[in-house]
Amino acid sequence: MELAVEMLAITKTYPENNIRANEAVDLQLRKGEILCLAGENGAGKTTLMKVLYGMESQDSGTISIHGRKESITSPLVAKGLGIGMVHQHFMLVEEFTVAQNVLLGIEPVRFGISYDQKKANALVNEVIARHHFSLEAGTLVKDLTVGQKQQVEIVKMLYRDADILILDEPTAVLTEQEIEALFTTLRQLANHGKSLILITHKLHEIKAISDRVAVMRQGRMVGIYETTRMDERNISALMMGKTISLEIAHAEKPQKSLPVIVFDKVTVVRRGQERPLLNNLSFTAYSGEILGFAGVGGNGLGVVEAVLGGFIPTVGGRILHHESEITNMNTAQLRKQGLAYVPSDRLRIGSAAKATVEENIMVNASHMFTRQGFIDKKKSASFTERLLASYKAKATAQMPINTLSGGNIQKVILAREIEQYQDYIVFSEPTWGLDVASSQFVYEQMAELRDKGAAVILISSNLDEILTVADRIIVLYHGYRVASFAGKEARNLSKEEIGEYMLGIRRQGTLHG
Amino acid sequence: MQFTIPILHSAVTIMTPLLLASMGGLFTELTGMLNIALEGLLLMGAFSSVICSHYTGSMVVGTLLGIACTMGLSAILAVVTLNLKSNVFITGLAVNLLSAGLTVVLCFSLFGNKGVVVFDNIPSLPLLGTPSLARIPILGDIFIGHSAFVYLSWLLLGICYYTLYGTPFGFRFRATGLHQEALSALGLSPNRYKFFAFLISGFTCGLGGAMLTLNLGAFVPNITAGKGWIALVIIFLGNKKPLGLLLAALVFGLADAFSNYAQGALQVPSDFILALPYLLTLLAMVGSSIYAKKKGAIES
Amino acid sequence: MAREKKLARKTIRTFVREGAAILLILTIALVWVIILSLLLSKTPAKTLGYFFLGPLQNTYYFGNMLNGSIPLIFGGLGVSLAMRSGNFNLGGEGQIYSGALVTTLCAISLAPLGIVGAFLALVLGALVAGALAGVSGFLRMQWNTSELITSFLLSNAVVLVVNHLISGPFLDPSTSLMATRKIPEAFRLPLLLPPSNLSMALPIAILAVVVVQLYLYKTKSGYELRMTGLNPFFAKYGGIDTRRYMVLPMVLSGALYGLGGGLAIYGTYYASIKEFSSGMGWNGLAVALIAKSKPTAVIPAALFFAYIEAGARSAMLHSDVTFEIAAIVQSIVFFLISSEVLLNLFTKRGKQ
Repeated sequence: MELAVEMLAITKTYPENNIRANEAVDLQLRKGEILCLAGENGAGKTTLMKVLYGMESQDSGTISIHGRKESITSPLVAKGLGIGMVHQHFMLVEEFTVAQNVLLGIEPVRFGISYDQKKANALVNEVIARHHFSLEAGTLVKDLTVGQKQQVEIVKMLYRDADILILDEPTAVLTEQEIEALFTTLRQLANHGKSLILITHKLHEIKAISDRVAVMRQGRMVGIYETTRMDERNISALMMGKTISLEIAHAEKPQKSLPVIVFDKVTVVRRGQERPLLNNLSFTAYSGEILGFAGVGGNGLGVVEAVLGGFIPTVGGRILHHESEITNMNTAQLRKQGLAYVPSDRLRIGSAAKATVEENIMVNASHMFTRQGFIDKKKSASFTERLLASYKAKATAQMPINTLSGGNIQKVILAREIEQYQDYIVFSEPTWGLDVASSQFVYEQMAELRDKGAAVILISSNLDEILTVADRIIVLYHGYRVASFAGKEARNLSKEEIGEYMLGIRRQGTLHG
Repeated sequence: MQFTIPILHSAVTIMTPLLLASMGGLFTELTGMLNIALEGLLLMGAFSSVICSHYTGSMVVGTLLGIACTMGLSAILAVVTLNLKSNVFITGLAVNLLSAGLTVVLCFSLFGNKGVVVFDNIPSLPLLGTPSLARIPILGDIFIGHSAFVYLSWLLLGICYYTLYGTPFGFRFRATGLHQEALSALGLSPNRYKFFAFLISGFTCGLGGAMLTLNLGAFVPNITAGKGWIALVIIFLGNKKPLGLLLAALVFGLADAFSNYAQGALQVPSDFILALPYLLTLLAMVGSSIYAKKKGAIES
Repeated sequence: MAREKKLARKTIRTFVREGAAILLILTIALVWVIILSLLLSKTPAKTLGYFFLGPLQNTYYFGNMLNGSIPLIFGGLGVSLAMRSGNFNLGGEGQIYSGALVTTLCAISLAPLGIVGAFLALVLGALVAGALAGVSGFLRMQWNTSELITSFLLSNAVVLVVNHLISGPFLDPSTSLMATRKIPEAFRLPLLLPPSNLSMALPIAILAVVVVQLYLYKTKSGYELRMTGLNPFFAKYGGIDTRRYMVLPMVLSGALYGLGGGLAIYGTYYASIKEFSSGMGWNGLAVALIAKSKPTAVIPAALFFAYIEAGARSAMLHSDVTFEIAAIVQSIVFFLISSEVLLNLFTKRGKQ
């Protein structure tokens, strides 16, 4: 069988943090196949692909393209060899048209110097038509949907005659329908003789699209398998090393439930946009329960987080904390009202990278150590050490927090927020990017808080997480509350059913909070 | 209103170095860099063109050499900023400090004088314009009878517009500032376009500076007196569009021309007049940021 | 704990490496002094001798050099404080100058109050300079106007206004200098190293370093200021009033500049002389950059700059170059001091 790519014994260590991301990794990509590169976060998938694409250089090991040994020193070299990559974050200039993006760097010219707009559109429309994309070359990229933007990225590669395509988590931002359309396109490309590598960790997608699956774990290649011979359980076991099922006991009978946080017809509008980000959202978070918010990205989850955190103003409705109104308070005021909050963006919002662990831990607690304006360093240090110990975070107080692993950073944030909670606490995407053990730890903490009587609000686009942990579930679609499930109903909910609500295919008739 | 036309006429002269400097600055700004070195580049252009004109005896050759010197300085700025990965703001300060120091040091060692150096062998700039055109009422009085620099700046503005919006080069310039990873993901080097942008700044500032000194036939230490900073503000006020630059530069030209008039006619202390451009710039900045905030979307 | 020891050693190593990189940059700058002297001077050896050894030649020059570092220490502290909070104060020139003028004028009119008057005059000067910088902070807080540009513009305008005030309404007609009247004798700081003009202002400057260091690292407000500078989103999320730290550090920064100006009057000039402080604001900025905004590192950085200035002045007096070569050397420092490539030169080599 002809090999499009053969990587042999690739080893790559990042000098900044001495992390060995790839260790003697082998990978073969056959011509005309779709290969899924699977593994948990941090398994080394992205690094391996960056090496193939010339964005990183390997310490040792060789790469052959179509049977010839090549030294791929930059993306430019990779492109010359017919390799193209679609990044997770789109590399598109929003203010340019589709054609202008596709042709950046290889623009058609008139009179030797002028940009030939007409020819540009014609050239790109031709490629679009050949591969049946739903695009128009003259549209501005900022007016496209996420799925269409991804198509533009693919067109960009096809236009440059790439026959080896790498896609980094291509479905992360797409709706179910868009994923289906993407898979159809990818299958067509493979049938036309293109060879594709998809980085992913979603098991059902691996099953749905790939011919073979390559599994990585902790920087090593576990093996490459024919997909038809594997089921989701096998792949998962290979990815994780051992099978763990995350289980959390649900609150069987909520003790005495008191309303803690009440949203009463809250509406959020971004200026200049017609569709409200949140539309008349009402709900109540009770003590002693975990209230989960589910939805596809861009449908209001982030907005609920930002409103609870005091980051964006509302234009209508009221928010109550017990009896007192907290509508449009800023974060500082909300903190005084008892806000405890684990944000989705731990690096940009949840921590200050260059500050020490201690400085990160005391941000919401500095008043505890302050006397007449001066900080009692002894007190703050012992407080920090106590927290690190009781949350089993592998860190010391005086380390800069950016020297910690993702899991340990999240433990520091959890420790800080849980320590200061009064009666409610917000978790947004709390296990994003964490390994199984760390995720389990987070779930246990949430359950413990719930059992102690806290109102726990969980905002998560991870459906498994919502179904595992939440006692009550609210589904958001386009800023509307389209469904809610409680008690037994919530526990017996199937992924498919809740998925239909998340995609706006179904919605419940009358909604009560 | 007999004084209005002379004010407008001199506003057109005054705005020209500002327009030129801001055009070059537009390129650096569009590639995503706050280029505060415009001030130092203008000063270097002013100094080197008048010196070179003096020694070569030709204003054209002198101006060309002056532009070359200024582009040389901007190339140094580019290499230090891009290749040594320095903060563009700090290196910009360095250019301003270097120009201020070097011009005085060289004046001192060449002419033994740290003050105003007058060059007698440099004639005043010829003013262009046919009498028939100049006879057009008002417009003729305002727009005809300027030096070649003025008309050159309009030509360059046209070229600038065409380059940015009509050539592949312009698209890559703009892409550099809008999303430089998009460029590098396609194998193009953002730094290359940033480098060109610095060189273009050097070119237009060299030309603008030349106009300042050749107009006078003399070099005065710190002759630019904040014009590079105002050029920077013009870029913002002009909304980073070539035509916007023209309007914003005109506003500053008018303000300056009026304050020159006021200085003579209204007996306002000269220091206050000199302070006026800075205060006006400040007001313009505040005004535009209030506008931007009112207009802008809610951000967290 | 072994781990902590390792961490401590690592910290020291980075410190030494960063220090080495900065020394390299300063050396490159000094090499330029040699190159410039060779190019511009007819007697380069003499020029270099006066440049490098002049400031250390005797107590007079040495004391003057130390005295020259005082406003740089205040300026460096001021800029550092602002930068630590994520603000940029480019208005040092105007703040120093206006602080000095206000202190001078207040000192003259508060002469009857004695020591209290002297103190009040200093505070008023610092307040005015602080308010000036505070305007830029306020504009940023209110409308997100870049404080970097507004502080520069405001300062440029203020310098011109102060020029007018000194040469106009407050001009002392009894001297040929463009200067105000002199402050009362009783307000003048004692000299430490006569005949040089080094005054008691130096220990006050060192005290200021200690105070700023304590403020940043031992107080709640200093902690909040640093967090706002390190990551404003994090600070806001943590419940810190980040709007306050757009204004307060600017006010403190301006006040330190103003205090530096006032003490220059009390210790050295005794009257506001036209453009006496020209360049001090920029040098304060350079000092803060070399010191990487660390208060304790401000002292050596200020000494380095004072040394270059004193050297240039000595070379100007005794040889055939002009003082502005100091500006060229300083610009070399600015060119290189923020270079990631140079600053990481030794760190990377150490890794392998």
